[in-house]
Amino acid sequence: MSIDFKELIKDFTNGLWAENPIIRLVIGMCPTLAVTNTASNGLAMGLATSFVLIMSEIVISIIKKLIPANVRIPSYILIIATFVTFTDYFLKAFFPGIAASLSIFIPLIVVNCLILGRQEAFASKNPTHRAIADGLGMGIGFTWVLTLLGMIRELFGMGSMFGFQLLGEWYRPMVIMVLPAGAFITLGILVGIMNQISREGK
Amino acid sequence: MEEFNQILLLFISTVLINNFVLIRFLGICPFLGVSKQVETAFSMGLATTFVMTLTAGATWLINTFILEALNLPFLQYVSFIIVIASLVQFVEMFIKKTSPVLYKALGIFLPLITTNCAIMGLALLIPLNGYSFIASVVFGFGAGVGFTLAIVLIAGLREKLEFGDVPEVLKGVPVTLIVAGIMAMAFMGFSGLISM
Amino acid sequence: MEKNSKRNLIITLATIGIISALVLTFVYEWTTPYIEANQAKAQKQAINEVLPNVEEVEEVEKNGNIFYEGYDANGNQIGVAFQNSGGGYNGMIEVMIGVDLKDNKIYKISVLNHQETPGLGARITEPEFKSNFENKNFGDYQVVKTPPKKETEVQAIAGATISSDSMTEIIEEGLDIVTSAYGGGN
Repeated sequence: MSIDFKELIKDFTNGLWAENPIIRLVIGMCPTLAVTNTASNGLAMGLATSFVLIMSEIVISIIKKLIPANVRIPSYILIIATFVTFTDYFLKAFFPGIAASLSIFIPLIVVNCLILGRQEAFASKNPTHRAIADGLGMGIGFTWVLTLLGMIRELFGMGSMFGFQLLGEWYRPMVIMVLPAGAFITLGILVGIMNQISREGK
Repeated sequence: MEEFNQILLLFISTVLINNFVLIRFLGICPFLGVSKQVETAFSMGLATTFVMTLTAGATWLINTFILEALNLPFLQYVSFIIVIASLVQFVEMFIKKTSPVLYKALGIFLPLITTNCAIMGLALLIPLNGYSFIASVVFGFGAGVGFTLAIVLIAGLREKLEFGDVPEVLKGVPVTLIVAGIMAMAFMGFSGLISM
Repeated sequence: MEKNSKRNLIITLATIGIISALVLTFVYEWTTPYIEANQAKAQKQAINEVLPNVEEVEEVEKNGNIFYEGYDANGNQIGVAFQNSGGGYNGMIEVMIGVDLKDNKIYKISVLNHQETPGLGARITEPEFKSNFENKNFGDYQVVKTPPKKETEVQAIAGATISSDSMTEIIEEGLDIVTSAYGGGN
């Protein structure tokens, strides 16, 4: 089996920017707004989602030929739900703090359209090594946007970053940033800026 | 009639104070995706409300009589998503038979209701809050109404924005998000509603 | 091609379903001891926080509820800790209440679990809000928005009235349960 490394690298970098799930494809939005109130929450959520994404892509790219076309969506969902349940129990057992912060958004990874979308668009049609690259790229692409959003919201909303107080007593936190409204607006501005950057790059 | 008051309060708070989209952040994908026209948005909201109400009842039953009775909490996510996928399938067939026009209008968004995190979120919140069966169904209905409200409101605003002077970089998703943020701020004002 | 036949459909889904159930059963068995250990640790920490100078804790069951009787180094009973839960803004809140039965007071409270909004309702875990219930006499508590003037008043967290209300209700209910089990205080 020959591996085309150039193609592999392209599969990987795709998810980082060009087809970044949040900024370009606009999928996987729910956790993006909900758990980015702090940088560490954003990072943890990104990593958890990436794990489920990569594992699901691996499994599905391996068994893709065994699944009849008309049950593929329910099959993918079952597999994804299994990995999510695993992640949930794993975090509760070994990282209870993170599990408590992310609460219901971990099970919500099951319906994250990013994961299901990649199975349908990529893993079910490509060999496993490419599926891994795609999963990694999309996962990291998802994670960096979540972490960045979390960093911005935490800095302006609480004056800290990753729990470390950066801005002193003098700073009056903009509480709106940790609230839903602030999340919407920050992401909107962020996407607008990203759009501008990619347009200038042309 | 104390219980009726509680149920009414639950309904109002779910639609306005704890609005699923604007306060709880559930259902953002269809919120951003299907909200370009008020009519489509409304149909989507109706279909989703229908699925949500049924899901609330069905998952309560499964949780109480199967998962808890047999001590299988780890099958919760798997069983809930099976229920949701089945209900959406059923609703799809129902709409296809009763209103082919609506079926065509909603197109691919109908099966996509399965991945609407608002529905899964709803199913998960019910055992977390310990609601009774009736409270659960009201909660599901309220969630759907709140979702419909949010999606129709933003569709209306987006229709107006089409003719507005939006800077090129903000067109589409960014301006929708910003407008949603302002709406969320408005909805926050409801939080004082039930403190009498 | 036979591939899409109904039989294959059912076999595929059933197989995936069964494998999934087996895998998850295994995951559940593996992680449950750790999860329970985490919960026990959190509970122990909460009891230590709400009962001052507690050295030994005895678990006692009354009226179908579990109470944690705390004793100091000399074997004297300090008080009773009770864990109560109730609906908050976003989900259940679990509170550990440390009660002084001799003086009919709350020693302290500790929040074990909550899903409240970070930056707002989540501030129920902060010392400022918890101090509302430190050394507090039993009574009918009222949540107010200004600094409390009466002992029965509880100052709400700014912008988180519902979370503050819920906490107060959960604590009042907890006190009722403790006093009815231990005889309404002397």
